[in-house]
Amino acid sequence: MTLAVNIAQSGSNNVTFRNRIINGAMVIDQRNAGASVTVTSDGSYQLDRWQSVLTAGSKFSIQQSTTTATGFKNSTLLTSLSAYSLTGSDRFGWQQQVEGLNTYDLSWGAAGASAVTLSFWVRSSLTGTMGGCVTNSAQNRSYPFSFTINSANTFEYKTITIAGDTSGTWLTTNGTGLVVRFCLGAVSSYRNTAGAWAAGDYWGPTGGVDFVSTNGATMYFTGVQLEAGTTASPFEYCPFGLEKYLCERYCQTTYPYGTAPGSNISFNGIIGRTGCAGVNGTGEIYQSTQFKQQMRTTPTISFYDVAGTAAKVTFTTYAVQDTNNISGTVGQSSANGFGVTANQSGYGGSSYHYLVTAEL
Amino acid sequence: MYKLVNPHWSAPEQRHVQRLTDNAFIPFVEDNTDYQAYLRWLEAGNTPEPAEENQ
Repeated sequence: MTLAVNIAQSGSNNVTFRNRIINGAMVIDQRNAGASVTVTSDGSYQLDRWQSVLTAGSKFSIQQSTTTATGFKNSTLLTSLSAYSLTGSDRFGWQQQVEGLNTYDLSWGAAGASAVTLSFWVRSSLTGTMGGCVTNSAQNRSYPFSFTINSANTFEYKTITIAGDTSGTWLTTNGTGLVVRFCLGAVSSYRNTAGAWAAGDYWGPTGGVDFVSTNGATMYFTGVQLEAGTTASPFEYCPFGLEKYLCERYCQTTYPYGTAPGSNISFNGIIGRTGCAGVNGTGEIYQSTQFKQQMRTTPTISFYDVAGTAAKVTFTTYAVQDTNNISGTVGQSSANGFGVTANQSGYGGSSYHYLVTAEL
Repeated sequence: MYKLVNPHWSAPEQRHVQRLTDNAFIPFVEDNTDYQAYLRWLEAGNTPEPAEENQ
């Protein structure tokens, strides 16, 4: 007797862990602790798991907001910073890349691919046709979708059902399984008919509003959910601690929640100090750190002395307490942890905060 | 924009490069997206700063 239930094939919404989107309620913001960020870099992350993609910097900002739909605590606020005229191959988006290990059961790229349903709350100062797309890691399979903002500055609930794609390559590894992208603007060559799969890189529906072309325009998103099946179920609330844990496969920090990495908060959040200088008072101090959980891959590592200076450690001996601004470098690293080495005189130990990222 | 980092004596097979915009250390690991960005930067004809001699 087989007891296992394939959620995707059952099409059932009455299961836990049905939401493939992590931090869909926008409650986790480890990098910026609620501060507004002008987005300058393509591929940069703001709220946990949510990424900005763009061809020109400083056209919009992103901030965790407390203006939200009923039943939620937070949203993501996007603000257009200019009346930008799109040209060339311009395109702007805000997206989540879902890891292939969390989408393999959809069986996309083959016969029997499961349908999915995207649901979310959105509020905008603009009205009209907005949209986005679902795409694969190679961005050569796209499903543009559209939704309508009926009333300005009012949260509206949207649902979009997407047929499973039976073509293309959809990773089922620790790479990008699929991308859910909201389009903030795209030239016509990066738009296509909504509601159908197409071979190519299409960011939004034909004729959709270019959000970045209206200075001061705002959009709020929360309650984003992507689930198998053809019906949108109520948003799957996740305990805060579990949601943060899910995020920490991709981003971890020692800083207390609500404190941005690089802040000067002394030892708050550091759980100890180890390491020892070499014989005769000169040599290497080395401190290793084990991550809270194994990360998606070996992460990019930022460490800070307790005053918040990057690539520095704090050195402490019995004779001298807490000397900051000691240069360090990463000695070893893996998906499980890393070690920082520094050259320093005297018997003692080093301390540091860290931010590590293994995003898609 | 990047600076090479000398491997640590205990793990000479592990390599990292430092991104100078934020001083983060990027491992030479294929599925790290920052490393992929570094490779694209190299392919564009750029050259990283050499590692410090005293590291």
